[in-house]
Amino acid sequence: MADMGGEYIQDVSDDDGVEVASRSGNDGAAGGAYGARAKGKTRAKERWESGIQTDAIALGEGPDGNLAESLEAEEQARKRARLRQDNKPVQRGIIRHVVLILDLSEAMLEKDMRPNRYIVAINYAQAYVREFFEQNPISQMCVMVMHDGLCIRLSDLSGNPADHIAAIQAIRYPKSARQPAREPKGSPSLQNALEMARAALYHAPSHSTREVIIVLGALLSNDPGDIHKTIKSCVADRLRVAIIGMGARLRICQEICAKTNAGDDSVYGVCQDEKNFRELLMATTTPPVIRQTASALPSAEQTPNTASLLMMGFPSRVTESTPSLCACHNNLTRGGYMCSRCQVKVCSLPRACPSCGMTLILSTHLARSYHHLFPLQSWVEVSWARAREVGSTECQACMTHFPPVPEPQEPDATREGTDTGTDTDKDKDTANSALKPVKQRPRAEGASESSRYECRSCHCHFCIDCDVYCHTVLHNCPGCLSSPSTAPTDAEANPEVVAEMAVGLENGINGGEPMDMA
Amino acid sequence: MNAIDGTDRHVRDSDNSPPPSLLTIILDTNPHAWALLSDTLPLSKAVANLLVFINAHLSFNHANQVAVIASHIQRAQWLYPTPHPPRNSSLPEENGTSNPTAPSATKYHRFAVIERSLQDNLARLISHTTAADLTSSTTTQIAGALSTALAHISRATQLSSPADSSGISLDSTGPTLSNPTDAPTDPADGTPRARRSPLTSRILIVSVSGDLAAQYIPVMNAIFAAQRQRVPLDVLKLAGDTVFLQQAADATGGVYIAPSSAAARAGLLQYLMMGFLPDARARAALVMPGGGEVDFRAACFCHRRVVDVGLSLGAAVTAKPVVVPRPKKKKKRKLGDVTGTSTPMSAGTPGP
Repeated sequence: MADMGGEYIQDVSDDDGVEVASRSGNDGAAGGAYGARAKGKTRAKERWESGIQTDAIALGEGPDGNLAESLEAEEQARKRARLRQDNKPVQRGIIRHVVLILDLSEAMLEKDMRPNRYIVAINYAQAYVREFFEQNPISQMCVMVMHDGLCIRLSDLSGNPADHIAAIQAIRYPKSARQPAREPKGSPSLQNALEMARAALYHAPSHSTREVIIVLGALLSNDPGDIHKTIKSCVADRLRVAIIGMGARLRICQEICAKTNAGDDSVYGVCQDEKNFRELLMATTTPPVIRQTASALPSAEQTPNTASLLMMGFPSRVTESTPSLCACHNNLTRGGYMCSRCQVKVCSLPRACPSCGMTLILSTHLARSYHHLFPLQSWVEVSWARAREVGSTECQACMTHFPPVPEPQEPDATREGTDTGTDTDKDKDTANSALKPVKQRPRAEGASESSRYECRSCHCHFCIDCDVYCHTVLHNCPGCLSSPSTAPTDAEANPEVVAEMAVGLENGINGGEPMDMA
Repeated sequence: MNAIDGTDRHVRDSDNSPPPSLLTIILDTNPHAWALLSDTLPLSKAVANLLVFINAHLSFNHANQVAVIASHIQRAQWLYPTPHPPRNSSLPEENGTSNPTAPSATKYHRFAVIERSLQDNLARLISHTTAADLTSSTTTQIAGALSTALAHISRATQLSSPADSSGISLDSTGPTLSNPTDAPTDPADGTPRARRSPLTSRILIVSVSGDLAAQYIPVMNAIFAAQRQRVPLDVLKLAGDTVFLQQAADATGGVYIAPSSAAARAGLLQYLMMGFLPDARARAALVMPGGGEVDFRAACFCHRRVVDVGLSLGAAVTAKPVVVPRPKKKKKRKLGDVTGTSTPMSAGTPGP
């Protein structure tokens, strides 16, 4: 944390003069807005101001003076930190159109990340593209760079991750030898970038989201005109801009994010280090929440919120003994996918049918997005008292042995004795209330003292690795799906009206209250 | 010197030996389905064949591991290794391997342990199945078995590569899982690293029941998780019809074989040995069965029917049914024929 502060000062001293110069053009509007905001509420503490204290607390000793254990707890807490985010039922746009804009200005040559920001950003951008299409297979993306005052489009809006990765790789290793590698140069222009992104997303259909993700290393924006006009037109076009800074917070970035996200500037993040940068970047792979009320833009927001159904075909793959021409590239291929409506052959999915225009996707593509819609419920930490009550000795899924439950202390023993045999809710209350006397040592928040994590619907206990794995990769609860009472089949088997189906599904997958229903 | 006394030959041997392989078998023990198959292929015979197959797998490499999960009618349960149920649960703990029986002097100890534990656990599972269980449901808990198997594989992979223990949390959504076999330089952290997961895993599903549409989402989630971990899902479909398992095999690069006739089913062991014994490395050099046509249809959310053409919402609501007065969710409807345009909804923009 201490070096964070150092970095910050250093960055400012490097770019300070330039930044002031570039901002002076927009001074009136920006200054006015800032003044109004500052009067309204007291300034929240910035990260570097609060960082040192929290670190000091987190590094507490265990009761036996053992640092390792508390470090382990810290590790567990860190693993769980991002699991505790999206459980809330929200409407998410799973068909997205995203423009990824990388900064290739001089500031990217800073060496505060190894080897420098430029290479780190390019490496992570490739990982990002891959992850993005894992999570959003029916979405489209486009990559641009801000280079020497201009914004240059590297790849066109498409759903093929290989194109984008190749385009990003070509920044450093151009395909033709005549072309020089695009080294960081000049200053970036947010206005140019936003205008380019706006133009690229102009044709995105209304049922999809239009998003811009900017990785900004510089602390300035060298704009040809008034960026506030551009922001206004972005808002009118329903663009949502997320900015990830690599240096320090900028007022103008905050304003862009806040205005294009209906006042919520949480999508503007400044990374502390590489790890943090990766986290911030990967956070944007989750589909954005669709805003319910369109107070800021009443006219434009109506269309996407009405249930716009989209016709899709789920073609099956065929193999042919003789090669035939595919409709998309006019290549001779053996096999491909036949459009469900017009029986035309295409060679890869997802794409729009070249003949009838219907969107053709694999059901697997669609299903990939489901876990955003039915997120797995968070598992709760298990106290020693609760662990003793259940008597779990190994992880339900991977059969890793848990640390043994210590001998009960007196007050807990009596408490537990009185409460056995009550229903599950009571048990949980007891577990929670019993947690306080037992919990002596300082534990990092989010880590379980007994190294067990419990699913609230099936009451199975899991280890930390399965917890992380199930929530980040699998999105299933092995316990719920394996036990008779919480399995989803009962709730889902009977055909019902769609709305009621939703309830059944919700209970089944999310493990709402299937116990009560049964 | 080393060359003379054979020291470096030993080193080279251990480098060249194939990596250990973890085979997880999911045995569908749906009693309804096995009852239908009982005249041609009784469960006992299938299990006997499976044991031969397991032994063959273990004989390949002494570091090879095996795990067996039963996907039963109401629950998914471990058959091998034997789980330890919670101490104060109602089921009395009777560990199959703990009752000492006279070990056969001629049998390899490991084979005997697995055989014993598998048979004991299976017998216990069947004896604990009540008549009420049988009447309440006819499908099998394949999703639970798959989830358990994948979690177990993820853990085993992590254990076999201790260097990964700190990195796994960082990369669990990233390149470590999505492409562990990539180039040695990880694009994410930019640090050169060796291939850290020498354990290759695969899952074999011996499936006998159809109609898994009710578990569509969990099964799909499991398929994607397997895809990210590079775990092939092999499917041996003895009876029933599920499009999703075929998709699973296709998406993860596994083998799908469906011996449909009774005569074909009699050769179960042949199928197992020829089709499923080679591990991921050996398969690269072989022409594997399967491939060809894959049914990629999806199940609709309203009627759980498998459809060809459907209507899908661009933005779907996750949970709140209260805020959802209008028909929500993915709604896919079977369209009679080419006159799909008669559906009023089809006026919506077809995607990009």
